[in-house]
Amino acid sequence: MVPPVKDRDQGIGMTEYRYIGKRTPRVDARDKVTGKTVYSTDLYPDGMLRARVLRAAIPHGKILRLDVSRARKLPGVEAVLTHQDIPGHNGFGIVTPNWPVLCVDRVRYRGDALALVAAVDEETAEEALKLIEVEYEPLPIIDTPEEALAEGAVQIHRDGNIQHRMDIPPKGDVEKALAESEIVLSQTYRTQFMEHAYLETEGGVAIYDEKTGVITVWCGDQYPFRDQLQVARSLDWDPLKIRIIGSPTGGAFGGKDEISVQIHLALLAYRTRKPVRLHWSREESIVAGPKRHAMNSTFRIGAGKDGRLRGIDVQVVANTGAYDTIAGPVLNLALESSPGPYKYPHSRFRGLSVYTNSAMGGEFRGFGAPQVVFGLEQELDKLAGKLKLDPIELRLLNAVEQGDISALGHRLQTSAGIKDTLEAARKTDLWRRREEIKRDLAAAHPRLRFGVGVASEWHAVGLGVGLPDFANVTIGIGEDGGITLRTGAIEIGQGNLTAYAQILAEALECGIERITVIHGDTFACPDSGSVTASRSVLINGNAILNGVKKLQPLLVRVAARALDLPEENLAYGQGRVFSQIDNGRSLSLDELAARAAEFALPLQVTGAAVFATSDKDFGDGLPHNYYTYITQLALVGVDPETGEVEVRKVISIPEMGRAINLAGVEGQCEGGVVMGIGYTLYEKVAVEKGEFLTKGFSTYILPTTLDSPEQETVIVEKPEKSGPYGGKGVGEAPTVPVTPAVANAIHDAVGLRFTRLPITPEDIVAGLEGGER
Amino acid sequence: MNEIAIRFILNGKEVSVKAPPTFTLLRLLRERLGLTGAKAGCERGECGACTVILDGEPVTACLVLAPQVEGRRVETIEGIGNGEELHPLQQAFIDESAAQCGYCIPGMIMAAKALLDRDPGPSREEIKTGLSGNLCRCTGYTKIIKAVEVVAGKSRKGSESC
Ligand code: FES
Ligand code: FES
Repeated sequence: MVPPVKDRDQGIGMTEYRYIGKRTPRVDARDKVTGKTVYSTDLYPDGMLRARVLRAAIPHGKILRLDVSRARKLPGVEAVLTHQDIPGHNGFGIVTPNWPVLCVDRVRYRGDALALVAAVDEETAEEALKLIEVEYEPLPIIDTPEEALAEGAVQIHRDGNIQHRMDIPPKGDVEKALAESEIVLSQTYRTQFMEHAYLETEGGVAIYDEKTGVITVWCGDQYPFRDQLQVARSLDWDPLKIRIIGSPTGGAFGGKDEISVQIHLALLAYRTRKPVRLHWSREESIVAGPKRHAMNSTFRIGAGKDGRLRGIDVQVVANTGAYDTIAGPVLNLALESSPGPYKYPHSRFRGLSVYTNSAMGGEFRGFGAPQVVFGLEQELDKLAGKLKLDPIELRLLNAVEQGDISALGHRLQTSAGIKDTLEAARKTDLWRRREEIKRDLAAAHPRLRFGVGVASEWHAVGLGVGLPDFANVTIGIGEDGGITLRTGAIEIGQGNLTAYAQILAEALECGIERITVIHGDTFACPDSGSVTASRSVLINGNAILNGVKKLQPLLVRVAARALDLPEENLAYGQGRVFSQIDNGRSLSLDELAARAAEFALPLQVTGAAVFATSDKDFGDGLPHNYYTYITQLALVGVDPETGEVEVRKVISIPEMGRAINLAGVEGQCEGGVVMGIGYTLYEKVAVEKGEFLTKGFSTYILPTTLDSPEQETVIVEKPEKSGPYGGKGVGEAPTVPVTPAVANAIHDAVGLRFTRLPITPEDIVAGLEGGER
Repeated sequence: MNEIAIRFILNGKEVSVKAPPTFTLLRLLRERLGLTGAKAGCERGECGACTVILDGEPVTACLVLAPQVEGRRVETIEGIGNGEELHPLQQAFIDESAAQCGYCIPGMIMAAKALLDRDPGPSREEIKTGLSGNLCRCTGYTKIIKAVEVVAGKSRKGSESC
């Protein structure tokens, strides 16, 4: 009856919500289960040409001769392009654009592109590739940072083999702290290249419209506005005449934030004046696209007998592959993640990112964290073992809280619930009764040995200090009362569109079915930044709420005119504008929309938001101001004869402020966990002397339904007042600590520690034969 | 390239379509018949994204040559609902939030349908085995298995009561 809600409490109180924190079904679910969702690789425009890319035949060498004349003459071939056909900058890269669109005089890895073909059909395009003649002068091949840094090593780039160096300003005196610590641990951990393996490989379609001069590229991506700039830069084209439609995407996980087919497609469409389609094969996706960086991380950690951490010294060396893309920030985040959510009075973090001729390192869900957290959380387990402390106790003893100074030296200004997640972990049945559970399982399966492990993480949300970290949205109400939300964000599978619709419906107190989300199209949506860094719900959510704050006064203005009442006496609430005098007369959204049309008052607003940043600035985006905190528990069974590990159960306990969509958070945890299990036990992009040994799913082993453990998600709520309804983000964290949780569980089962990923059955058998490693 | 006419029953209706004899069923569906529900995730028989049902059996359409379907029955994701009405598996996938990026989902649902067509009440382990050829990179399979279990469970209960 009465109105009264002006500015909803955004999540700190106990307000009962209609959509926030519920299992709202996904807005895109129906189309996805009926096969109606159209991905960019589902487009086959009439009259289109098929494109193919000629890739380097050797991993490292000079190009002495590149002759495409025979290919050009093949009937059915409409274009063969080389570097000479690039009007603008011949390079792309999120941070430093030194990845060639088409190589000029040198190839630096097997995925390098040399020429493009567009032909009437796939077979002809394939045939044309074979007619292109390339002569190389091979150069020494560098697989690893050690080789790249050795004296006299061949220089992969003119400025040498070091891509990026990061030394975070040290805190205190770590050498002294380690010297004075009663316990000092040190260990190096090595991790492999990992493949994103999204089910939709990179691909799409481009069309050039001669009349308007617009080149449209459909390509599942993560940031259409950056693609627009990168395409425009290479074509020397007006960015406003490049239209990128990047949504939806058949999986991305960070791997589609960078350019893949976009520039190639635009070049060919412009040249041929015909629609062009390019869809990478699985092998091409593995060889050419970016991977999770292989990293070596060396930890030195000092602690007192009381279990308090005194100091940490971390050195990370990343194998970044041939070009930059976003390697600097990935290394930086590895450093920021490496101490975990714990307090240390003294610290030092140093990193080096090194060029090689191996796989291309790039952005991948977790962004440098899985590599280091694998090491840190095993070291903490070792420490707990030495001190005969419960591993959760040890973590609780050192865990940070909101307001604390982090290991890096910045103040944790936003919600920090790691203690809550650890407390919740301690209360789970799996942890409390773990000895009993292992005993019962061992009785039922006498051949196997069982173990339970725990690990935690803090995962930065947002791009970090000093980087453009914003989102814009527009919200419009049409004549029929339908609400349109436009965001440049991409639906990469995580369910962000549904979260946005929930936030908007909650803020307007209206039914969600009214809302249509238009997304990921540079001609239809405002720039909302990249869908990366677990940032999209927080920042788009805030932009939506800021938009609603502008929309409500417009609705009040319409009502004032319609009801002939002063605006001061009207208020928005419950999806209506109410009069606060006059016995509560009111107008519904439908009525308001119709009246607004009648008065020619457009109900259209923009909303913008920018990330709040940290109190410190170490450069290059470090440090961050928001973190997801998470603890995970794993139960494993190990077969000592075959070395096989079965992950039987995983419990994820995330603190992401507030869960906007319960099923969405569970989905992120469940998917992240199985991806993390793959990283831990099976997955490795094997590259030797620059040659890929894994080129498809028969050699690159992904987890299947048979590897999917029982899972539980226990959500810890600690609403963050600067997030939408208290939300932060949760996309990446769940894939991180599961790896050391499984490693710690393996140790609990068979007493072995592993410092290299993946942990294979052979490693386990060898370890058991050779005793404790 | 020379093209040949291929006639078969697609989602209950007879179709005749021309294609090069080297075309796979997957390309035939996607490029000649405009049915893009079946996806190309690997085109090597290794991911299951292209799963359709051929004469009642689940097959990876990327490994079936188009001429092989001559005169046979092919069912795809586009044909399993009933107009506006969803197949119970589709409804369960929505209710359980089993689709994320969705790219694996048509193949997953077709594999699940083939399984349930054969045995309407499989156990959890049988469901896992039945779907083990279908990769999903987003969901960890938890909600997918659950969605199929819900449908299988209903039919298990149904058969117990009669
Ligand atoms: S596309 Fe057929 S199995 Fe992967
Ligand atoms: S939902 Fe993305 S691959 Fe399964």
